[in-house]
Amino acid sequence: MASESNSRAGDDQGSAKGGRTTSALKRQIARIEDDAEDAWSRTRDVFSDVTDTLDIKGRLNRNPYGTLAAVVGIGYVLGGGFFTPLTARLVRLGLKVGVRLAILPLLNDEAANLVSGMVGAEGSSGSESKSRKGRQNNSNEGKVP
Amino acid sequence: MEIAEKLEETAREFEDRVRPQVEEAKKRLGAINEDVTDYIKANPGKCLLGALALGYIVGRIARR
Repeated sequence: MASESNSRAGDDQGSAKGGRTTSALKRQIARIEDDAEDAWSRTRDVFSDVTDTLDIKGRLNRNPYGTLAAVVGIGYVLGGGFFTPLTARLVRLGLKVGVRLAILPLLNDEAANLVSGMVGAEGSSGSESKSRKGRQNNSNEGKVP
Repeated sequence: MEIAEKLEETAREFEDRVRPQVEEAKKRLGAINEDVTDYIKANPGKCLLGALALGYIVGRIARR
């Protein structure tokens, strides 16, 4: 009898222990769930803050091709293509095109100035020669024999 | 003078022939541009992710 009561007490103790461990487990799981929810909401907040700050949708609406090109560039850098010969070549090409585009209007202006200067000089020399001829004519008129 | 006139005439004919084709091409390109921009505006996430992936792949290829 004594051994039976002992074993029952042991069973009771075991069930109590099991109940405690399950409740502790449940509490831990609930805490983990809360933590995960917190982390998720914080991540969402950060993501929305970043998107609001960068105004990606607005940028995409205003200049879709430029935004996509910028994102392609970011991907290119992330892919490790920054310090490569291809980048050097692209930069060189961009510089060439940029310099040409910058210089072309200047050259155009210079050429226009040159041409207008030449035309002006010709016109003034023409008028000068005409006036000289006129003066000569006048002086010749005075010397009528 | 005759040669100049002939050249002018051929140029004018060429322009008359080519102009409608150029106009058509312009219209088509405009329509394609509109479609593409509309698609980008309708699916910004997809397009941005695609662009990022494309850039990444090109970067990986360039690194090799």
